[in-house]
Amino acid sequence: MAKMAYYPGNVARAGAFEVEDTIQPMCRALNIQLIELPRASSDGGNVIKQATPKLQDALVARNLALAEEKGLDIITACASSHAIMCNTIDDMKRDPVYANTINNLIARTSSLEFKGESRSHHLLHYLVEHVGLDAVRDAVKNPLNMKVAAYYGPDMQRQGACGRDDPFMPNYMEQLIIALGGTPVDYDSKCASVGSTSMLTLEDSSLAMTAAVLSDAIQSGADLVVSACTVSHINLDSYQSKAGRQSGKNTTVPVCHMTELIAFALGYFPDRFAQLKTRVRLIGS
Amino acid sequence: MTVVAKVWIDEDCITCDACQDICPEVFEVNDESSQILAAVRVDGKFDRNVGGSPLSGTLGADLGDIILEAAEACPVEVIKFELVTEGGEETVVAAEAPVEATTESIAAVPAAGASEALTAVLGGDRALNILFGSQTGNAAGLAEKTAKMAANYGLEAKVVDMEGLDPVKLASMKRVMIITSTWGEGEMPDNADAMWTSINANGPALANTHFTICAIGDSSYDEFCKAGHDWNGKLASLGGHEAFPIKECDVDFEPPWQEWVVEALPLLACVDDSGTLQVELLEEMKAYGSDDDDDIVEGDFAPGILAQEDINITLEIFRYCPEASESGWDTLACAVPGHATVQDLLITMQREVDGSLAFRRGSSAGTPTTGVRVNGRVVLADLAMVGDLAQEGGRVRIEPLPGHPVVRDLIVDTGRFESHRSRAEPWMRTDPREGQTLPSGAAMGTVDSAVATALHQAGDVLSFQLIQAMSDTLAHDTHYEGPGVHFQQWLRILDPRTGESQRRSMLNSLQEKDGVWSETDHASLIRQGEDGRLAARSLNEARSALLNQSRYSGKSGRLVKWYGRSVKWTGNVNETTLYRQVLGPLGLVSNVFSGVSARMALAFTRNGSPPLRGLQGLLFPPSGVGRIPKMFNSKVDEYHEVVSLFNEIDQRF
Repeated sequence: MAKMAYYPGNVARAGAFEVEDTIQPMCRALNIQLIELPRASSDGGNVIKQATPKLQDALVARNLALAEEKGLDIITACASSHAIMCNTIDDMKRDPVYANTINNLIARTSSLEFKGESRSHHLLHYLVEHVGLDAVRDAVKNPLNMKVAAYYGPDMQRQGACGRDDPFMPNYMEQLIIALGGTPVDYDSKCASVGSTSMLTLEDSSLAMTAAVLSDAIQSGADLVVSACTVSHINLDSYQSKAGRQSGKNTTVPVCHMTELIAFALGYFPDRFAQLKTRVRLIGS
Repeated sequence: MTVVAKVWIDEDCITCDACQDICPEVFEVNDESSQILAAVRVDGKFDRNVGGSPLSGTLGADLGDIILEAAEACPVEVIKFELVTEGGEETVVAAEAPVEATTESIAAVPAAGASEALTAVLGGDRALNILFGSQTGNAAGLAEKTAKMAANYGLEAKVVDMEGLDPVKLASMKRVMIITSTWGEGEMPDNADAMWTSINANGPALANTHFTICAIGDSSYDEFCKAGHDWNGKLASLGGHEAFPIKECDVDFEPPWQEWVVEALPLLACVDDSGTLQVELLEEMKAYGSDDDDDIVEGDFAPGILAQEDINITLEIFRYCPEASESGWDTLACAVPGHATVQDLLITMQREVDGSLAFRRGSSAGTPTTGVRVNGRVVLADLAMVGDLAQEGGRVRIEPLPGHPVVRDLIVDTGRFESHRSRAEPWMRTDPREGQTLPSGAAMGTVDSAVATALHQAGDVLSFQLIQAMSDTLAHDTHYEGPGVHFQQWLRILDPRTGESQRRSMLNSLQEKDGVWSETDHASLIRQGEDGRLAARSLNEARSALLNQSRYSGKSGRLVKWYGRSVKWTGNVNETTLYRQVLGPLGLVSNVFSGVSARMALAFTRNGSPPLRGLQGLLFPPSGVGRIPKMFNSKVDEYHEVVSLFNEIDQRF
């Protein structure tokens, strides 16, 4: 069983419990052992960075150092968190002087050092590149049998943060959907931003962007949208109705986290899966 | 190497910024016109330089090639310049009409063993007039090249702009080459229109004139190369002698022009002093023209492009017809060399499949105005190679640059970007630094080389238009000025030569409603590669500076402040606190009525997770003012380490 340090991100243990509920059993089923990092803190969510980039990088480097201390790589189900970790690793690799500054800070405050050995993996890339889609397919108990639109968001869709997937025309999640017994639906906006970091400050723009993504997925025939980013899920789901009313577009479509979809297909939470299927039938495609 | 003596800007500049993007050392565009920077001029003034002040020091040599590149890129051809010949004389190029540019005067020295007849021809009058009718500069460029080649045959070539040329002068010209494009539906280019009208009204007799025509056109139009044929017929009807048949050139005009010029030049060179074409000397003249005693280093000095294998692709090109308000996709399966640029693809498509395809062309060196989106990537069409964008059997999907209205096919209207830029005024207004002034007495800012290097690195991007197009927000917020504009403003703010009042004004502008806080997500920039990463970094720096200036006021300031405090005090983010502090009580009520809170709390959309857990996020102790409440989400282990980190780096939280 592969051991991975688990980083839940900023919302999986706050506003998105369903990620926390589902990632644990699905990882066990796929022979991934999640190791807790009890000292790990928030990564700053690209918000603290706006005041002090060095502070955000220090928070992230501290989390990475905690995993490195255990000799583990980090796995997360949040695209935004994964991208933030990749950005910090990149910045420290580009500038050894800066890396030294950050390491001095976390050494003084936490007696830690990030040597650059631990890496961050998004759950999606880890499943496709390390676990293998055949293993996923073999573990499926309840095939999805739905048309599913994958939402990647822009955060991790860049060179160096999306594994060997194409940053601009990704298809890892589509491959995963097929392995889970679903039918992927292709649409143009799957990497477009929904403005998740700015929903509280730029609601009009964020709602318009959210509506554009959802209506695009619906027009392409999706029964369901699955999100690889736990933060963006808030926009796609909780703000869905508001986005629809503001834009005048049809935005009504069930949205779930990637961990939920995998867990459901692997046979966990059959009652929740049934509820999801009912909603898909009621809403229609 | 090209040495420019002076450069100036004619009237009617459209402030498109192309010159500034290509050569910011010389050109700066304000809201009225491109200007020649004071620092590069002998007179130290900052204006269009219509007085023709020379370039100072060795700048004319150092920047000559790039000034010419900027002039060629100017869509309205208002950049004028003078070149310095080897003898130190100044030669006017593209100046006030009629323009007569003389190539270096090379004495025609017959080769050893040349016949007496050839010696006699070469010893006489060797004037050759190359007239150009040009709308976009292509014909003018070919005329320049032709003039250079003419020297090989002992000809003294003058490049003559047809604008304002009296056709009566043609009668005194023994050798005439006309290179002209055709504009619109068979019309003369603008600069040839008056001369065409004049020669039709009062054409001179051309009994002593030998001529040949090179006609440029687009075979997708019915009246292909009509202007060239009109001139050919007119000169012949006036008694002129057609020395070499007219050559038609399609959109890929260089190869046929090459065929024409290697045959036509030696033929015209055989016209003797009396105006007689001595055809029998043609072979000897060709040999003379190709004879060169200089030792020339041979080799391939072309830029290093690694030839790549052909790849099979499915090409998809966005099409839009404004007349019919219809859009769609052209799809074509084809094999192309991996090293072909996107522009090469488009040119081939236009030439061989559909001549009506519209797109902006560049100089094949990264022209800032050639931006398109290919497979989701924002790229310059004349720089991006197909092999870098698609794999064997893949798809190449070419769309207009996002964030701008589409005019036709791949051509977008950048007017919104330009008007935002114009309002943002990101050009320099210097303040005196330590009493430094230019010779004219005007104020001069100073910058040391380390700062200059850092500034250059911070803004070293291919095109600000591309940066603008990287934003996912721009299409959804019509008032947002955009990252391309704000990036330029921030670079100007960083420049120590910028005056204090301008710096304050631009900082205030960035802080305003449609300013730097209007970008919802820098991730859409960062993912576009190094240029986007540079821009995002600068825009984040701008936000940091503004937070200090505004003391964390406004929604954006409150979000950063309370996010930071929340993390500092527990190691985790507390959403309740953020909602309460950023939106305020009214915002929370709004979310209740809009259904957002219900969707969050009741877990209806959470696929059956217990509703109580969703309610916890909203109902547990509401945030107080000034003191963070006890949260139901617990502190991380050893959270004092996080507190120490905050205290070490930023004690404002």
